[in-house]
Amino acid sequence: MTEKMPMLDIQDLSVYYGGICALNQVSLHVNEGEIVSVIGANGAGKSTLMKTIVAVKSFTSGKIMFQGQPLKKEAHDVIKDGITLSPEGRRIFSPLSVRENLMAGAYTRNDRHEIEATMEEVFTLFPRLKERINQRGGTLSGGEQQMLAVGRALMSKPKMLMLDEPSLGLAPIVINLMFETIVRLNKEMGLTILLVEQNASIALSVCQRAYVLKTGTINMEGTGQELLHDKRVMESYLGIAK
Amino acid sequence: MELFIQQLVSGISIGAIYSLLAVGYALVYSVYNFTNWAFDGFMAFGAFMAFTGITSLFMPFWLAALFSIILTVILSVGTEKLAYSPLRARKAPRLFMMISAMGVNLATVNIINLIYGGVFRKFPIDTLQPIFIKGVSIGRMDLMAGGISFGVLALLWVFLYRTKWGLGIRASSIDIMTASLMGINNNAVAIVVFAVTGVLSSVAGVFYGIKYAVFPMMGIVTIKAMIASIVGGLGSLPAAILGSMILGILETMVSGYISSTYRDLFSFLFLIIILLFFPNGLMGKSSGEKL
Repeated sequence: MTEKMPMLDIQDLSVYYGGICALNQVSLHVNEGEIVSVIGANGAGKSTLMKTIVAVKSFTSGKIMFQGQPLKKEAHDVIKDGITLSPEGRRIFSPLSVRENLMAGAYTRNDRHEIEATMEEVFTLFPRLKERINQRGGTLSGGEQQMLAVGRALMSKPKMLMLDEPSLGLAPIVINLMFETIVRLNKEMGLTILLVEQNASIALSVCQRAYVLKTGTINMEGTGQELLHDKRVMESYLGIAK
Repeated sequence: MELFIQQLVSGISIGAIYSLLAVGYALVYSVYNFTNWAFDGFMAFGAFMAFTGITSLFMPFWLAALFSIILTVILSVGTEKLAYSPLRARKAPRLFMMISAMGVNLATVNIINLIYGGVFRKFPIDTLQPIFIKGVSIGRMDLMAGGISFGVLALLWVFLYRTKWGLGIRASSIDIMTASLMGINNNAVAIVVFAVTGVLSSVAGVFYGIKYAVFPMMGIVTIKAMIASIVGGLGSLPAAILGSMILGILETMVSGYISSTYRDLFSFLFLIIILLFFPNGLMGKSSGEKL
């Protein structure tokens, strides 16, 4: 079989905030059907990377290609091409009901029946959301809000789902449930997933491939298992001294 | 008793006009977090365009009202495109947006003054005979102003809470960045929001002109709408309507039973008292819900 073109291909991407370099010559790719994790500490540039891919943040130099096409310039166009980001800190529309939050996620779609069908799929993944359908987003627990954030992102029927710190602020048991769901989405529905995490051990254990981002540059890359057993990763990100 | 009912009807109709203005402020404030001072110029512009439609272009009232709505929408959306949108694109602080709005307001009011002069004019519409019910005279114009204003507010409610566009606007008012991640086009939302405020200011301007007079500074009344939305609770649409109705009725009662000279004194006194006991307004929540 010939080498397939990656779904998302980023080459030499540099992003600045004013004069400060947040990402320096970052190259990474995501193949169709993969889970790719980007791990790194606070301030390594993980969220900047995500925001740049969805065109919320503009980049100075480099190239982002999605399915062989250059990335669109506006966030609301990027989502139409099939990239959806579930942002850091969940960012639920708290005054809106669970249903309205999900409907907002389906904003780019028009067929009511298809939207309802996707909503049913989301409820199958997260039955808790169905119980809370008329409750305001802001009244949900942290774990439920993260379910809602992922569910809302799925409502756009993305080709590639991006998750920014899905474990943030969640109890360990809820984190495990969330990552089980992420793996299910990938295995059962064939969804391509790019996620960034500070929680390196869980992010590395679910992914096929991973990158280590350190102060704006890609420091290491490899399969999840390789990096999990890498000495430097163990020391810096997993808290295991050898 | 007759006086009370007459004043009550009149108060409800003026309250309905305040509601249109207060809702216009609340809508822009909830999405863009700045006070759109240009709104009072738009209101005067709306009244003058209807005035011109009737006197110079010989339109019937309904056509002149439509003419005014269309032109005010163009002015409002044009202001967004020329004055606000470039500032937002440069991530200007919201204070700059407010100052820009004040500039647009000064320009609008003074251009109207230059063209039409500063005199007070009667709105060119036949004064309809009031209806008498058991000795109470009720102005038909009050009924019409109240009825149409509530109709416009009801349509706006349906638009905001029952349509996809409305959901987009509400989502943007909560978190504009996340809204764009959902595929909601911020620029399109801005055009719709400012088109809606254009309609509101035009309708309010026409009815206020009919009830009082048409003059370049007539938009100064929007300060009452500000009081109303603060009394109700800033940034919330139902609260803006509640505050407007209370203020409208209070004013006509003061005018009827005490003296119209003291009307504004009571309005501001009322604002102070409410804020002393309800710092967030009557329906205000400290944070969270904005629209």
